[in-house]
Amino acid sequence: MTSSEMKAVNIMKTSLYQEFYKFSHKKITWVAPMLLLGYMALWIAYPMTRLMTMMTYDSSDAINLIVIIVGSTMFSMEFQNNTILTLIYKSSSKPTVYFNKFITIFVYDVLLHALSLAFTIVIALTIRPVAWMKVYRYNQPLIINMLSTTGIDVLTSVLIISLVFVISTMINSNAVVITASMAVVFFGEAISTDFMNLDSSLAYLFKWNPFNMTLLTLQYSNYPLYHETTLLTNLQISLGALAYMLTFLGVGYLIFRKKRF
Amino acid sequence: MLKIDHMNTFIGRKRIIKDVSFQVLPGSIVGLIGPNGAGKTTIMKTILGLTKFTGNISVENQAVTENNHAALTRVGALIEHPAIYPFLSGLENLKLYSLDEDDMNHVVSLLRMNEYINRKSKGYSLGMKQKLGIAIALLNKPQLVILDEPMNGLDIEVTILVRKIIKQYAAQGTAFLISSHVLGELQKVMTNVLLITEGQIIVDKPIDEFNQVNHKHYKLLTDDMPATEQLLSDNRISIEKEDHYLVISRNDSYKIQDFLYKNHIRLVELTPKGMSFEQAIVSLVDQQRRQSHAE
Repeated sequence: MTSSEMKAVNIMKTSLYQEFYKFSHKKITWVAPMLLLGYMALWIAYPMTRLMTMMTYDSSDAINLIVIIVGSTMFSMEFQNNTILTLIYKSSSKPTVYFNKFITIFVYDVLLHALSLAFTIVIALTIRPVAWMKVYRYNQPLIINMLSTTGIDVLTSVLIISLVFVISTMINSNAVVITASMAVVFFGEAISTDFMNLDSSLAYLFKWNPFNMTLLTLQYSNYPLYHETTLLTNLQISLGALAYMLTFLGVGYLIFRKKRF
Repeated sequence: MLKIDHMNTFIGRKRIIKDVSFQVLPGSIVGLIGPNGAGKTTIMKTILGLTKFTGNISVENQAVTENNHAALTRVGALIEHPAIYPFLSGLENLKLYSLDEDDMNHVVSLLRMNEYINRKSKGYSLGMKQKLGIAIALLNKPQLVILDEPMNGLDIEVTILVRKIIKQYAAQGTAFLISSHVLGELQKVMTNVLLITEGQIIVDKPIDEFNQVNHKHYKLLTDDMPATEQLLSDNRISIEKEDHYLVISRNDSYKIQDFLYKNHIRLVELTPKGMSFEQAIVSLVDQQRRQSHAE
């Protein structure tokens, strides 16, 4: 590795460190996991213990909401505080800034999922015991169902993050970008679901819309019910989610690269 | 240090900076001046690899491109507004960019920020934020510092302090490229003038060449101008009339003051004739405008 390449790698490491430093000093970073646990605790009394365990006490919805709020402000915070210029010139390049932000929110997303898993295990070991090895869904033991649901939910939430990144690279205001992201994700999902339930002749085409892919976690935990809406298999939705995630990340990057600061 | 060679900057398809070339040498303080919209901030942003450009930019012989900022490792900058995260304290904002804690503490002391540096920066006044922005630019012993309107929001005391710090850093070899609309302020620190209008550099020379403008003559005003005129004519001192003043040679000024004193004529004003730095700049800009309109 040449000395300038070494320099570039060091700058990349430094800017990733800076991203985590800023992230760890924001209040929302620490408040959000508390809210997640509070939300999960509301579901402890729900009678279907195995389903709740598999779905890690419905953590998916709360995590999606958190990543929308936290992810939305990752760029707008820089625009609003006029820090974007310093951030870019101090980093090795614009792509570094963009992907470091993605890495940060991705790590946070994974940590939130790990926290929800840990909380579910603690609940199962204390007040709501379950038979981990007993076969539940997809002819698999409950523990595998739970881990698979979590893994699938990471994919769903990363799809949402990538969509939020597209929106947040376009809008400079914190409040507007959070509202816009929530509106797009939740209304988009609702409109897509309504349209799919209409039994339209265009459903064969419309089933590939990105919002249909956000139902992946729900479909995995309740296939018969949600498959009727999505008209896609779990594998199709997973591949679709992955393709849209890469597309949105690419589009977001192009917008960020072209944006004038 | 910094070398700009035939740089053109584009916003969309429009060429904003036109074939600009200049150098900033170690230890020099270059004042980038020009009217609003001339392209000062755009030049600074381009040097920092923030806009699309053609031509060459290099810092310490290492090229800067839009997608490679490795050459900017030891470049500090304050562009447009201080880059401050309100949820961090002043010190945390500095820590974000600092590579050397001793140097960071030194900068904090230099700018006299110790008293409030641990407070959350969202409560800072405009001047405190500006000082923090300057502190960020001075971190890590920079080779080049780019400051866009650094004196914005600073009171007189802090302005003098910042001026002193800039000179101190320059004496140690740090090069500065500074823009300011307060020409008087800039004149006190800069060693070189870079005058830009309509995206083109029209003057690139040492400040000394501006300071030497036409100070060979003085303008004289007394409380009795007819008597003064008669007195100087009687003593065969060459004079010229200009508005209410008499224009005299600098060489005659002491002699004239002596005559006035002996003849009980009170001296009201005796000032160097010629353009001030500000007038010279305005005149050059006007000249350039007229020229480009004629074209």
